[in-house]
Amino acid sequence: MSTVTLTIDGREVTVPEGTSLLHAAEEIGVEVPHYCYHPALSAPAQCRLCLVDVEGAPKPMPSCVTQAQDGQVVRTDEGLAREMRKGVLEFYLVNHPLDCPICDQSGECKLQDYVHSEGRAHGRGVEPKRVFGRDDFGGDVLFYGDRCVMCTRCVRFMEEMAQDPVLTVVERGDRAVIDTFFEQGLKDSPWSGNIVDICPVGALVSKDFLHKARAWDLDHTPSVCPNCSQGCNVDLHTRDNVVHRLKPRENPEVNGHWMCDYGRGHYEWMNRSDRIEEPFVRGDGGWSAPGWHGALASLRERFEDRRGPVHAVASAHASNEDLGAFRELVERLGGQGVVYRSRRAADEAPLPGSPVLARRRDLAPNTRGAELLGMRRVGSDDARGGLDEVAASTGTLIVLGDELTDQPEDFGSRAELFVYLGTHPAPAARSAHFVLPVTTFAEQEGTFTNVQTRVQRFEPALRGAGNAQPAWQVLGALTASLAGEPAPASAAESFSRLAARVPEYEGLDYDQLGAQGVPANRPAAIAGER
Amino acid sequence: MSAPARVPFRNPGWAGNTGEFDLTEAEVRGTDFVGERPLDGGHESAAPSYPYMLPDKDPDAVLFEGAYKERFEKIRTRYPTARAALIPTLNLAQELRGHVSPETMDEVAALLGLASAEVRGTVTFYTMYNKRPVGRFLIQVCTNISCSLCRGEEVLDAFLRHTGTELGETSGDGDFTVIEVECLAACGFPVAVQINSRYYENVLPDDVPALLERLREHGE
Repeated sequence: MSTVTLTIDGREVTVPEGTSLLHAAEEIGVEVPHYCYHPALSAPAQCRLCLVDVEGAPKPMPSCVTQAQDGQVVRTDEGLAREMRKGVLEFYLVNHPLDCPICDQSGECKLQDYVHSEGRAHGRGVEPKRVFGRDDFGGDVLFYGDRCVMCTRCVRFMEEMAQDPVLTVVERGDRAVIDTFFEQGLKDSPWSGNIVDICPVGALVSKDFLHKARAWDLDHTPSVCPNCSQGCNVDLHTRDNVVHRLKPRENPEVNGHWMCDYGRGHYEWMNRSDRIEEPFVRGDGGWSAPGWHGALASLRERFEDRRGPVHAVASAHASNEDLGAFRELVERLGGQGVVYRSRRAADEAPLPGSPVLARRRDLAPNTRGAELLGMRRVGSDDARGGLDEVAASTGTLIVLGDELTDQPEDFGSRAELFVYLGTHPAPAARSAHFVLPVTTFAEQEGTFTNVQTRVQRFEPALRGAGNAQPAWQVLGALTASLAGEPAPASAAESFSRLAARVPEYEGLDYDQLGAQGVPANRPAAIAGER
Repeated sequence: MSAPARVPFRNPGWAGNTGEFDLTEAEVRGTDFVGERPLDGGHESAAPSYPYMLPDKDPDAVLFEGAYKERFEKIRTRYPTARAALIPTLNLAQELRGHVSPETMDEVAALLGLASAEVRGTVTFYTMYNKRPVGRFLIQVCTNISCSLCRGEEVLDAFLRHTGTELGETSGDGDFTVIEVECLAACGFPVAVQINSRYYENVLPDDVPALLERLREHGE
């Protein structure tokens, strides 16, 4: 590919031919302010904020659509370019309400940032501002017309990515406003939350997040969306140990810049406070809470005295490390395989403008990971039933993560030993001899394997509830004590054990999975499937 | 094959003798009729041109049937994409119905296979689409610079006073809707007033009663 060399702000940069000035500037770490340009959408060059001064050009050039030329000399940071931005920003504030103190975008608002760094210190406007008020677009989207900068990113997202052009610019001049077809709203588009993300200002905000937290108070933890097997890369935004929202994190191989409303909306369960917080052991005198050491020691004794077959139920919400450790334990106990149940939607819901992204049928993050570990899916599409054989077990019964909501209260009562590892109290687990608290994915690190067989890491965003521990740690310690080996000390170590045992993960290194994950080695059977 | 139906097309309006040129109405208007246009749009290259002013609007007219269907199909052939044919199609709809209601936008969107929201965006961008029903005579008074200097606001007030309407509203008898517009591109002859498709130039506040009287009695 041929390249061009140009000078931006006095620094030489060489970029492939056809690169825009905006991207060329990015190469040397210069961010040219912009609103309408978004890397995943078409560039209408209408916000006039990315204008730069190109030597020899008769007029300022919009850097988002101007291609870099050999020998060009571009200034983005001083003189004309700065003056232009100052002027454009002043126009942006002509009708802006400046209601930052009550605006959710405050702190992550591009208008705020740009005006603060380059705008005028004082407004000169004396005319009254026009007022639109706010409009409910349906779904999770609320529109504050007065804050809008008319970048039309939202219009173009609905047209180009969702391919459901329900948004448009209505009227003209200073009466121009983003709207749907009268009262029609966004028609429950499954992707509408993305327009809140790409809105550079506070015009489109999330109703769910409305006035919940200030942007600067939120911690961002890189994670993976746990709501379907697509495994969109997300950030969990938390404050005071509470997840407040999920935001997509860019990964071109999995979700681009986007995620679906379904994934975005299902996070409240991570904040549930009805948790199992201590390991409980049921003995002749009822329940006791002997602490982890005591519980694991007596469980180990019970394992060594066990009789009868071993039945095991896992969950596709558990990480690869958890599932790997679970399988290892079950195998050591002589079990014949693990079953899991997971909810499955009727259809996939693809994002039409994206080659890879869809809300997948499997509504659990790690169904592919469970499959690769040889676990068998049972039960119906709403994750009910399918456990008759397990429930009738008279030997050892181990359940990891499945809340057994559809099971009767005497579930597992015939089992000689019933071990329940879960996050939340499950009424059907009252016959259990051991109830061990484990962490949710949001409270531990680990990996999920998505529908593309891509192994992706997530980081802990919340403190674990009470004395809950990651399942890989609990199960790893049990297996290790039975085998007389050292237990895995970290999720990385747990993953490397997995990599040694599962051909698809062979050669993968936990640290090298990075923030974007890597594809697993795909066996022929799965490679031919899609 | 019988000749297609035709509608009369008369030449421009008459604001009364301003004294400037000392011309009679007959001299300005010439003969009553300067031509006719075929209802089906005639040659397809002419079909998308400016809409005809039909004497009667029917808000419930069908989109489209008969000669209008032919005209619509000719319009479609003149543009590479449905989106490009949107404006002439809307013109046609307004010609028949007198205004473009939300229902009309929806119907036009369905006809062209476009999104309703996009049609709404287009309709609201252009000021010459009436978003609400208007009277038999839509009076557009220019108050931009040139006309403002020549008492444009007073002319506007006179129209409002003599028709007894509020700005943008339709008089009780359904005859008049008065709106204020920006430049009508007749800055050489202020105050410019457009009534339906006709221009009335050099209009003074005192001309207004007679003008309205003429409209009531003779139409445009």
